[in-house]
Amino acid sequence: MKNNNSLSVLTNGILKENPVLVLVLGTCPTLATTTTVSGAIGMGLAALVVLLCSNIFISLLRKIIPETMRIPCYIVIIAGFVTVVKMLVQAFFPGLYEVLGVYLDLITVNCIILGRAEMFANKNTVVVSALDGIGMGLGFTLALGAMATVREVFGAASFAGIAIPLLEEYKIEFLTKAPGGLLVYGLLIALVYALTKGCAPVKKSFSCSGCANASTCRMGECANREKEGNN
Amino acid sequence: MKNSIKNLSVFVCICTVMTLLLALTNTVTAPIILENQNASANKALLEVMPDGTGFEAVALEDYTLPATVTEAYRETSGLGYVVKLATAGYGPDMVIMCGVDSSGVVTGAVCLSSNETLSKEKTYGENFINKDAAAIDAVDTIGGATKTTAAYKNAVKDALNTAIILGGGSVDVRTEEQILADNLAAALPQGEGEFEKTFLVEELENIDAVYYAENESGYVFVIGEQYVGALADGTVLTEDVENADAITDAAALIQSTVIEEIDITAYPDLTKTVVSAKKTETGNYIVETKGAGYGIKGGNEYHPASGEYIIVRVSMTADGKIIDCLTVSEAETDGLGDACASESFYGQFVGKTEENYTEIDAISGATMTTDGYKQAIERAFAAVKTLSGGEA
Amino acid sequence: MEELRLLIVILLSAVFVDNYVLCRFLGICPFLGVSKKLNQSVGMGVAVTLVMLIATAVTWPIQCYVLDTLGLGYLQNILFILIIATLVQMLEMLLKKLSPSLYKGLGVYLPLITTNCAVLGVTINNIIDGYSFVESMVSSLGCGLGFLLAMVLFSGIRSRINEANIPTPFRGLAVTLIAASFISLAFMGFGGIIENIFA
Repeated sequence: MKNNNSLSVLTNGILKENPVLVLVLGTCPTLATTTTVSGAIGMGLAALVVLLCSNIFISLLRKIIPETMRIPCYIVIIAGFVTVVKMLVQAFFPGLYEVLGVYLDLITVNCIILGRAEMFANKNTVVVSALDGIGMGLGFTLALGAMATVREVFGAASFAGIAIPLLEEYKIEFLTKAPGGLLVYGLLIALVYALTKGCAPVKKSFSCSGCANASTCRMGECANREKEGNN
Repeated sequence: MKNSIKNLSVFVCICTVMTLLLALTNTVTAPIILENQNASANKALLEVMPDGTGFEAVALEDYTLPATVTEAYRETSGLGYVVKLATAGYGPDMVIMCGVDSSGVVTGAVCLSSNETLSKEKTYGENFINKDAAAIDAVDTIGGATKTTAAYKNAVKDALNTAIILGGGSVDVRTEEQILADNLAAALPQGEGEFEKTFLVEELENIDAVYYAENESGYVFVIGEQYVGALADGTVLTEDVENADAITDAAALIQSTVIEEIDITAYPDLTKTVVSAKKTETGNYIVETKGAGYGIKGGNEYHPASGEYIIVRVSMTADGKIIDCLTVSEAETDGLGDACASESFYGQFVGKTEENYTEIDAISGATMTTDGYKQAIERAFAAVKTLSGGEA
Repeated sequence: MEELRLLIVILLSAVFVDNYVLCRFLGICPFLGVSKKLNQSVGMGVAVTLVMLIATAVTWPIQCYVLDTLGLGYLQNILFILIIATLVQMLEMLLKKLSPSLYKGLGVYLPLITTNCAVLGVTINNIIDGYSFVESMVSSLGCGLGFLLAMVLFSGIRSRINEANIPTPFRGLAVTLIAASFISLAFMGFGGIIENIFA
């Protein structure tokens, strides 16, 4: 987990541990905001800013924040930065605000951010945490952008709002709807698996480390409980 | 204990810092957000008044405005008004936004939402730009959507009237029905506002229409623009009536008419086309005849099997002049053919004879309904001919 | 009568038409994660419904009587998520004390709910949609039931997937998502029905 080679920390998030396609975190915004490329990139960048700020802040305070109270502290910090970003977007990018709507608020509970706070920022120095935030944020943005490109180009015959005349006749409107999102996401994950020939640790199912809830359920306890639940 | 106090204080500190950060961001962004919201609210208004700079809402309850008006805005530099109206076209709830400048000319009109079937109303508003009240009726109609067109034009007219009223002028904002009701009530206060049109079976010279009070207190005779009230005993209430005696006679005639049922089974030729036939003491005939219109069910060409006829009641003199005409029932397409049930259509047949009854305005977009109606009228002429001939 | 009709429309829309999981993509993580077995799905669904109802009952008055009156709307996000987290903790402790058997059934899923975006989503959406208190509660109930319904349906499908022979790249999450896509497609069929039934 700990990797002080700053470049690899940065690229880790983009490729090897891509939060969306490999770690499978933050599925809700991935599916909901990828109907248009501009919405997806906006969402990705908003999450990137929140991730960067919260990672820096939490890393700064990692010695001060008491172990037992850390989750509420993280939640407050993240929710605070989310609201800041939300207000800024509302003020300076009203069009984007309209597109993202409630999903901006829901960055608060985006698994990636709390997950990185818990798994990375509270164990690493400020600079490395910041790099991790940027890397993860970029990975998130790129994955969202890729998915949105597929959905918008083939579903609405446009790219970032610019119409593609050739595809106008052949657009598959289904892709811009809810089921299309799930389908494209499933296909992309399969594609990534096929391309990496299974080298990337695609989760066969949700285990504790892949589940962002892990941070709130005190690592590992979650797995035990799940077993209990099965009984 | 000491530890948990320390933990809690750290948490409280973090909360405070974040709250301060939020409050700071809020003070920076709040005015910008407010401005954005105002701008986007004005955007719709600007669409119909492109030169507008700012708008303020008008308190509607301070004015007597047409019933269709839901919102009104005053352009702050005095350019004019923007009016939002809700009206019913072919479907319910057509919302129209219309801008009117201070000289009473339409600056723009858009349809914000509608349930219309053709969706041509979306761009129809462009036709009204730079038109004033007098030019509204001349605007081209939406092909195949008479009701939508009429509703749109009325909404634009209402918007023009609203602008006049808001500008301090006064306009008669009553609908045609309201004007009629007001005139009737004024002519015969005893009628208590409940009037019904009388189906005439006698020729009444110079009189255009007769309404009877539902409480049987009397009649209102329409002579051109004048509404003359008369009590049931023939007393003319309205002053300055030229031939009050004629009115008294007419009232007496209407009441004294004796109508006799004719057994149409005695006329084998008529049983298929005539529903019922009556004859008055004075020798006029009242026949109800069938005509095959378009039919609402399945769009079949004719509906003799399902019985979907247009049924028309016609009163006629023995020599074949129509005294009055009324649609009893119809099964025609909503929004198109069903216009045959409106007085503006069937009223056209009054006074017509067999020679000229076809010279009427057809219902636009409903040729088969019009033809079916003419068929029913034609059958009425034939029936009266048979009935009167049979007696002779 | 008119109000009752509106409430029914809100409830049924939340369950079928605007299903939080399948149409609005809220609460996808637990939907994919905890839907492997039927009993898990039911447990998670019931727990989410419960938390949604309690969270709405608490957050709605706070938004209306505290935040709106003091002009502190910008604290909405922080307060709501803290309230939800606290409520979940309290509910967990309460269940543990009062009903160990129920805790065994539901308690397992409670900690997972804090970061379930469906809960925060429904509380915020109720405010955005301008619902009254009763309407908010009904909408929350509908969202919870919709979540439960989606979970139960999906667990049935997943048990079939496990028995199927699937190409390697699609194994695991990919095929799960594609299966979810088809349920979502089925739910699209509800669009417009509810309003028309009660129109």
